[in-house]
Amino acid sequence: MVVWQLLLGASLLAAWQAGASAGVLDKFFFSRPSDIALRVWQMCLTGAVWGHLGTTLLEAALSFAIGVALGVACGFALARNRFLAALFDPYLRVANSLPRVVLAPIFLLWFGLGIWSKVALGVTVVFFIVFFNTLQGVREVDPVVVHNARMLGASERQLIRHVLIPSALSWIFSSLHISIGFAIIAVVVGEYLGAAKGIGYMIAQAEGVFDTTGVFAGMAILAGVVLAVGAGVDRLERRLLRWKARDSQAGGESVS
Amino acid sequence: MRFPGYTAVEGIDLSVAPGTFLSVVGPSGCGKSTLLNMAAGLMSPSAGRIEIFGQPLEGVNRKAGYMFQQDALLPWKTVLGNILLGPVFAGVAGGKAEAEAREWIRRVGLERFSHHYPHQLSGGMRKRVAMAQTWINDPEIIFMDEPFGALDLHTRMRMEGEILKLWAETKKTVVFVTHDLEEAIALSDEVVVLTAGPASRICGRYPVNLKRPRNPMDIKTEPEFSAVYRSIWRDLRGEVLKSYERE
Repeated sequence: MVVWQLLLGASLLAAWQAGASAGVLDKFFFSRPSDIALRVWQMCLTGAVWGHLGTTLLEAALSFAIGVALGVACGFALARNRFLAALFDPYLRVANSLPRVVLAPIFLLWFGLGIWSKVALGVTVVFFIVFFNTLQGVREVDPVVVHNARMLGASERQLIRHVLIPSALSWIFSSLHISIGFAIIAVVVGEYLGAAKGIGYMIAQAEGVFDTTGVFAGMAILAGVVLAVGAGVDRLERRLLRWKARDSQAGGESVS
Repeated sequence: MRFPGYTAVEGIDLSVAPGTFLSVVGPSGCGKSTLLNMAAGLMSPSAGRIEIFGQPLEGVNRKAGYMFQQDALLPWKTVLGNILLGPVFAGVAGGKAEAEAREWIRRVGLERFSHHYPHQLSGGMRKRVAMAQTWINDPEIIFMDEPFGALDLHTRMRMEGEILKLWAETKKTVVFVTHDLEEAIALSDEVVVLTAGPASRICGRYPVNLKRPRNPMDIKTEPEFSAVYRSIWRDLRGEVLKSYERE
């Protein structure tokens, strides 16, 4: 399968390259895969890209960590307390249906041009994914498993530690791909809208001078990073959820 | 016991002598499991009371173990981890707890599977883990709610044999709920028949004086067994028919 997947990618790139070289596709608007590859290579050699990439990854990691911590804490609190859950329910729905892009300018005003306005944007995305999955995970614990643990002598704290947290973790992990991906997207969008550093900023700069090659180079770097992080998450997931039968993976709730 | 708009069991006065193996049978939906859940302290009765060794029951019944009909193992723990739960909850020290758990793994014949996860085991093996998990706490009473309902006939007979062996070795008080009269007679000292729900009552109590030790694989073909079976079935049959009419 991997061979076929690579073949598809290669033939698309080849068609693009041939089209651009033959003049069917205007190089000004579409650039050329070879030029893009060359640009990426040059940026790596001169070291121009590392600072931007580092900033973007730092922002993504921070928003992921903060978002997960807040999401798990709030998810647990609301799953264990019916009153709080009912109280917050409509507000959470409204907040979650808000397109995050409109928050970016406000965060820029609040947190400035540095990394924190991007982290804030990323947190608003990651938080809701993790929050809803934690809520679901704690609520969907099989009542028989809870009864069994109680009969075996579990106290309330032991019940949380041995039953509720592992159950919620499996839901959180199954949404990890989505939340990490969205964290990167959110911070790049934030950078694009206003920053002094980062891959999003780099793309915005290239766009400002109609440097299509630069825009595509930024996209290529981003794609590479997302693929690498995805592969890492895959391995982590396989290790931590090895108790799960392969065919019964819980689905993650997706937001946009 | 009343649920909103539904009374499951009513006016039931049932006492169990320590060390007895007692089965409760009745048509489906007659409240057998409700009775068990109340005795285990997982539900509290809407009227009446539960006494365990003369003490009124409050909260979860700490003197009892419970084998459930459904899979109740923690799917994220291995066989060893699941059997360790009781000692861990009770705060038993790591080395001692593990030695105990390993001894139970040996007793239920799962030495080769101690690091497997529940989804990697067969239905019968999962029930063995559940048995070890319940017995390791050494509870004085064991409740069982159709524990072998989901198993195939042959595995089920083997598991019945193992339960009888464990019971004979440890002499615990067992309350066993099932809708299978043969299983109830093969295992018990006494069979209690409930009437069809809603608001089911006790229809009758029948002592089973078959000799022990018994082998559930063979006992069902013996003439004494058939005699007991016929006398209980006469009453149970009527209740089963009633429960069909009420559906």
